[in-house]
Amino acid sequence: MTLRLRLLLIIGVSLTALWALVATWMLVDTRLSLRDALDNRLAASARMVAGLVSQFPEPGDLVTAGNKPLDVVARDGVACEVSLLRSEVTIETVARTAGSPDLRHAATGYGTHVYGGQRWRTYVLRQGDIQIATADSIEVRETLVRELILSAGLPFVIALFGSLVVLWFGISHGLAPLERIRALLAARRSGDDSPLPEVKAPAELRPLLQTIEQLLERLQAAIVRERRFTDNAAHELRTPLTGVKTHIQVARLASQRQDEGATLEAALVNADEGVRQLQNILQRLLELARLDAESMEVESSDPVDAAQAAIEALEIVHGHVARQVRVLGVEASRPVRAARPLLVAALQNLIDNAIRYAPSTTPVIVRIEPRDDGMLGISVVDEGPGMNEKERSQAVTRFWRGNPKKPGYGLGLSIVNAIALRHGGVLELLERKGGGLEARLVLPLAEDIEALSFP
Amino acid sequence: MHVLLVEDDPLVANGIVVGLKLHGLTIDHVDTASLADAALATSYFDVCILDLGLPDEDGMTLLRRWRDEGHSLPVLILTARDALNHRVEGLLGGADDYLIKPFNLDELQARLHVLTRRAAGRSTDCIHHGELKFCQSTGRVWLAGEPVALARRELSLLRALLQNSQAILSTGQLCDSVYGYEQNVESNAINVHIYHLRRKLGNNIVETVRGLGYRLGPAEKVEEQ
Repeated sequence: MTLRLRLLLIIGVSLTALWALVATWMLVDTRLSLRDALDNRLAASARMVAGLVSQFPEPGDLVTAGNKPLDVVARDGVACEVSLLRSEVTIETVARTAGSPDLRHAATGYGTHVYGGQRWRTYVLRQGDIQIATADSIEVRETLVRELILSAGLPFVIALFGSLVVLWFGISHGLAPLERIRALLAARRSGDDSPLPEVKAPAELRPLLQTIEQLLERLQAAIVRERRFTDNAAHELRTPLTGVKTHIQVARLASQRQDEGATLEAALVNADEGVRQLQNILQRLLELARLDAESMEVESSDPVDAAQAAIEALEIVHGHVARQVRVLGVEASRPVRAARPLLVAALQNLIDNAIRYAPSTTPVIVRIEPRDDGMLGISVVDEGPGMNEKERSQAVTRFWRGNPKKPGYGLGLSIVNAIALRHGGVLELLERKGGGLEARLVLPLAEDIEALSFP
Repeated sequence: MHVLLVEDDPLVANGIVVGLKLHGLTIDHVDTASLADAALATSYFDVCILDLGLPDEDGMTLLRRWRDEGHSLPVLILTARDALNHRVEGLLGGADDYLIKPFNLDELQARLHVLTRRAAGRSTDCIHHGELKFCQSTGRVWLAGEPVALARRELSLLRALLQNSQAILSTGQLCDSVYGYEQNVESNAINVHIYHLRRKLGNNIVETVRGLGYRLGPAEKVEEQ
């Protein structure tokens, strides 16, 4: 159902129902008031006649004048009858209006009677032996009510329908900003990353518009991230592949020429180097895929002393780099629940990054500190260029490289992050005070893992 | 043909340099956008191979800047970015061709020839100059229907002269075309190559313009002595 129809129905139906209720109420009220007024008129007429009759010296004379009652011609709808009470049962009509029904036996006070197939509203007043009866034809009264309803109700009904029509156009006009926004969104082409142009919208629609804008921005950011990821992945995978392919072609060319034996040899060595690079990337991607595939189950391996793992990781890295790396907080180290080779690999990646990115004269520090929440933090702190906020948020994205000039594949932090998540931990990238990066691997302590798993 | 290669990956760059040299091209390699700027400012190049993912500046930005500065050097983008929007953006951004890694060395070489040919306003690969016929991509030369064997440097020299048939080329420009950035070029090396060209294609093939440089002259059949 369209919003316009919905609004029209809700407002229209409630408006009609409310006004119908009011109209019914007014109608009933009017009827009652009218009846009261007409009843009062009946009573007043009767009392007036009674007053007149009492002026006669002897009312009984009226009858003696002739045996037939005196017919008085009256123009309006009120009938009147003056009777003489001979006894309780014998009532003789003295005078009456023309067309008046026989009201001799009507009860005193107000009453409703049927005379000659017509309903009458009667009022009977007794004064001594004189009975004065007045009556209104109910049919005439009804006609009066109908005329009243018609004269007051018709304009009301027309006004109601008129207001519904106005409502329809009003709603259409009121919904125009929505339509403008719809047209604006419909006109956007996919891939359009410009912000929404300024559109005239009432205050109520501003939040909606802002939400749409934010949604579009988030969507755009996601698309950009996705695109950057595929671009980076394509670059990292294709570059060594290109190296291999190019050098194989060079080797083929060289083999066809004379005196190019050295070139041929060099090309083959280079092609081999390309294959090695490709192999490294694939190895890391496979590691990541494996970590991803099993990330749901917490590794239930033996407790590993974090300090031991850190020192082991250092030994691996130190094999080919002469660099001052210090491990602090060895005495505070406690066992963590993590697969030993994965923990060592994660630390090795972090230390390796620190050594590659920080100047060779600055120290790299591995700091181990237990935390209050049953976790152990292992930080690798360097005094390198560090990362800004945006870089820190992107750093664990696969194929993201802090500095394309530095060797690497942009997978190290992704792997560390995956290892941390797999063990119910987290990788935090923090700004070191005084410049540099603090990469903190937070893992659950071994003795607390039972409590964590089965609270 | 003097080629400027802007590529940051050493392995790929090395492959292209060696491969194109085997194809008889003169090639210089830089690995950053700033070095590419410097190279363009100091030497004459016939064509540029540009990688987009450079460490100091995006290749597209570099290319747009070059075009804004009025460089009309034919540029072939050689990149791993294969998405359609990248290709369209690249071509609209001032590139003359777009090749995706991994590529075929023969194709790269052929495309470079097409680019220089088009830049010179020709539609066929072979240049006819009087009796002389020179096919760029194969590097073969005929004089009056007879094949002539030319060494790699001589071919480069002849190519430079034929491509700028109206212009006077200085020794420095010819050096750029023949040697690129190669070090230890002997001062009379160009003269030696000119001597050989004259011996094989007739004395008038290279005209000396005193004080300015050299110019292409008419090719004549050399009588065997």
